[in-house]
Amino acid sequence: MTSRILTTAAQLIVPLALLFAAYLTIRGHNAPGGGFIGGLAFSVALILYRMSAGPKAFRRMLPVHPRVLLFAGLAIALLTGVAPLLFDLPFLTSYVRYVDIPLNEPIHFASAVFFDAGVLLVVVGAVVGMIVRLSEELEP
Amino acid sequence: MTDTLWLLLAIAAPVVTGLLTLPMPRSAMTARVVLALLGPASACGIIAGVVAQGPAPAEAVPTDVVGWVPSLYMNFSFMLDGLGTFFALLVAGIGCLIVLYARGYFGPDPDSLYRFYPTLGFFTTAMLGLVMSDYTLTTVLFWEMTSISSFLLIGWDRYDKEAVRLAMQAFFTTGLGGLGLLGGVLLLGATIDHWTWSETVLHFQYHPEQLTDPAVVGAFLLMLFGAFTKSAQVPFHYWLPGAMAAPTPVSAYLHSATMVKAGVYLIGRLMPALGSVAAVAGHAGDGGEGHSGLAGVDWWPLLIIPFGAVTMTGGAIIAINQHDLKKIFAYTTVSQLGLLMTAYGLGGLIYESHGHAMANLDLDITQIANHAFYKAPLFIIAGALGHVLSRNITELHGAFFKRPAMCITLILAGFALAGLPGSISFQAKELFLYAIVHSYQTIGTFWLILMAAAITTAACNVAIFVRLTTTVLGLPGSLGSAETATAEPDHHHAADPDEDIDESPDPHGLDHDDEEHHHEHYHDKPGSPWGWLIWLPGLIIVLPQFIGGLFPSLWMQVLGPLETNTNYFLGEHGHYDKLPSVLYAITHPGIPLMCSGIAIALGLVLGFSKAFRGVFNDPANGIYPAMYSAAVDGGRMAFQLVQTGNLRHYLVMVLMALLVGFSSAVWLDPAMLNSVAEAASKAGESWTGAVLGLIVCALAMAMPLAKERIVRVLLLGGTGMGVVSLFLVYQAPDLALTQLMVEIISVLLFVLVLRMLPRRDLRVSPHFSWRLLLAIAAGVSMGWLTLVTAGSDPTHLFHDMKLGEFFARNTYDGHELTDGRGGGGDNIVNVILVDFRGFDTFGEICVLALAALGVFTLLPGRKPKTV
Repeated sequence: MTSRILTTAAQLIVPLALLFAAYLTIRGHNAPGGGFIGGLAFSVALILYRMSAGPKAFRRMLPVHPRVLLFAGLAIALLTGVAPLLFDLPFLTSYVRYVDIPLNEPIHFASAVFFDAGVLLVVVGAVVGMIVRLSEELEP
Repeated sequence: MTDTLWLLLAIAAPVVTGLLTLPMPRSAMTARVVLALLGPASACGIIAGVVAQGPAPAEAVPTDVVGWVPSLYMNFSFMLDGLGTFFALLVAGIGCLIVLYARGYFGPDPDSLYRFYPTLGFFTTAMLGLVMSDYTLTTVLFWEMTSISSFLLIGWDRYDKEAVRLAMQAFFTTGLGGLGLLGGVLLLGATIDHWTWSETVLHFQYHPEQLTDPAVVGAFLLMLFGAFTKSAQVPFHYWLPGAMAAPTPVSAYLHSATMVKAGVYLIGRLMPALGSVAAVAGHAGDGGEGHSGLAGVDWWPLLIIPFGAVTMTGGAIIAINQHDLKKIFAYTTVSQLGLLMTAYGLGGLIYESHGHAMANLDLDITQIANHAFYKAPLFIIAGALGHVLSRNITELHGAFFKRPAMCITLILAGFALAGLPGSISFQAKELFLYAIVHSYQTIGTFWLILMAAAITTAACNVAIFVRLTTTVLGLPGSLGSAETATAEPDHHHAADPDEDIDESPDPHGLDHDDEEHHHEHYHDKPGSPWGWLIWLPGLIIVLPQFIGGLFPSLWMQVLGPLETNTNYFLGEHGHYDKLPSVLYAITHPGIPLMCSGIAIALGLVLGFSKAFRGVFNDPANGIYPAMYSAAVDGGRMAFQLVQTGNLRHYLVMVLMALLVGFSSAVWLDPAMLNSVAEAASKAGESWTGAVLGLIVCALAMAMPLAKERIVRVLLLGGTGMGVVSLFLVYQAPDLALTQLMVEIISVLLFVLVLRMLPRRDLRVSPHFSWRLLLAIAAGVSMGWLTLVTAGSDPTHLFHDMKLGEFFARNTYDGHELTDGRGGGGDNIVNVILVDFRGFDTFGEICVLALAALGVFTLLPGRKPKTV
């Protein structure tokens, strides 16, 4: 079901979609976005790539089993939650500050972004894993 | 190091040394035994040292608290009062001898000892912790550890299915009681807000009026259930004879001094708190016998005495109708546990003498010690004889001339079992009979029933002694004498009708001996000192019986300081001054002595008579199998009822549960109705929203009418897009984005799945069904629930601020929050997800991950390495 139009368009769209997903996740704390949306967008981009470029190319792009993403995401989220305990703060306390960077306004940084990254990985692992597994059932 | 740490070391020592024996080479037998012995021996030494340094056991206070889980009231603090010290030393001391006996019993078999010592150490540790802990919940923890470790010990022969079954029976029965104990401890602790035994005792001394509090009584009943199951009271006694499937060292340890005594220990611990409370003057407000200053839960004597008396008599009667030595001793153990319970039950009564009121219980430690000092040797010899000859009493005719040392020990221990003068058992029995006589003051003529029960029990014990002695000595009139005289040993099975009963397949598997019939067993060379270990520990343990019996003052010098309840024999009001000696008892005859005499005479008659010589199967043996099959059948029925395999049924059940929960919530808080009215009044404000909502509803309702699956999927997508536009109208870009993504992915998933589903005409004729009603009700309540959540502050924590308003105001800076900390972000939705409700999000991604893993597992794929 590969078409030249899809393949060509995907080459352009997929990187942009991945970037957009990352952008959604990072800006999530202060503007529409967040780990869940970012993860979904990321998954859609990956699946689009698989549809256009085929399973082999996809496997080259994502050489690990999606469940690795699940575990990594859970681990990152858990570590973000546990870290404040070291400073005698409750589980999952977020750390917020403005970070000065050269040539620009200070960046609003919140440690919740790591938690969001964990959410993203879990969502990508789950969605991509399920869809890829189902499509494998159908492919010869 | 503080005392608490020393005692923790003592508790840990047996399991640590037990585990240290594991890496040793299997051939290093002697080193293994020495190392395993080191654990209980050092525990014994440390405990004795701590006691010797501290105050006298009568004035003992709990040791310093070492925190463990303070938030759950589980800490380490140890109570070395008389009861605790006595039990701890008994457990550790007999533990040492059991380590030696195990070496004699298993012989030079490296594999058995390799597994045995760590498990035994685990059990010893659990038992030591149980009897010393002052924190109630820590006691429960160790209590459960004894259940687990005794399961391992009873099911020692793991290839014997029957032994494993009996181990499970013991585990489930005592485990169920453990749950009762846990419930009782929690209820008691929550009611009086004290979590140590010592504070509980003090609390009730100052607040005896609380003894009638239903919560306290309920807690008492639950704890009593725990004690009854652990200490094998009728009708929960069946696990104890069943536990005889264990190797004999285990039986000798568990059933003489430790496991089964845990329930007795618990009752002894509760005695000053609930059974016989020495109320402090001026606070005794419960009337009744106010002048006595003694109070207790009314149910204490009412429940404990009848259960104890029935257990005592029933156990003794079943015991004389057994042929297997271990079974005989198991049932006498049941009987003796009943006696101990009865004694504590009688302690809940008040006895007045010379104007003094006191608890009707005296020298309970002597009672408990007495049992341990003859029961352990009996089991040890039962195992030894079973090892070299037979455990069946009918086959032991004349065994004395083959194994004199073992039989002498057996006769000595049996002498104590019978409670004959010369052993401390005699004095202990007298004490018990005194208590029964004294109970006349409170329970009137019922004391005669108790006395009859006690006489029956004592007579049965004497009869057992007579039979044991005459049989091993080969005297006429004993069991098994007829057939051994006439038949060859190899053929006597056919000659004796009794024997046929024994050899018939026993439904409970108690009759087949230990492991010796299953696989080869090891013997030490004759004359080797290791071989002595199979009977010598028994002789050592039985000796205090006679030292104490003949020299009661010596006995009291050792155990007297540990006695918690010293009332009419040793107390300040006492008129006997000391434990009566045999001579004193005989020269001052009273009702107790008379009853002893009757019991001995009856026992002699019974022992020589031909009556009650068969094998009687305990009817209670059917209780556990019946419960087991009821649980399995019930589980199967419930499974068939709930797990129909039909998705529609599952959905119905889930929705029903939702409806029931929701309607009960509305029932409790009718204010929830207001939120709907409020929302309805605003419904007309935005026509765009209302129209979009109608479109969504219409698309959803059209779905079941569609014929093709693909049409349904498209309709579902349509509703999704409607929701997306609703979100946009109400300015929720986050939600709209998310919903959009979800819709895209759902369509992708459906496209993949649809191709796998069979083509079938799905159209249903539109007809009225109760499922429709259920669906509508569930939908309405879901919507309602959303309105309630968003539109009110059900917990009233935030000044009746609406949830939406609350989040809007606190997302960046937490002015309204106690710690003044907000989420530090501008995006409300995201701050809720990662900060306010971050824990929920964490749970949700776990669920998501699990669901994905489920899919990976259910669709394993053809190529395992591919993605």
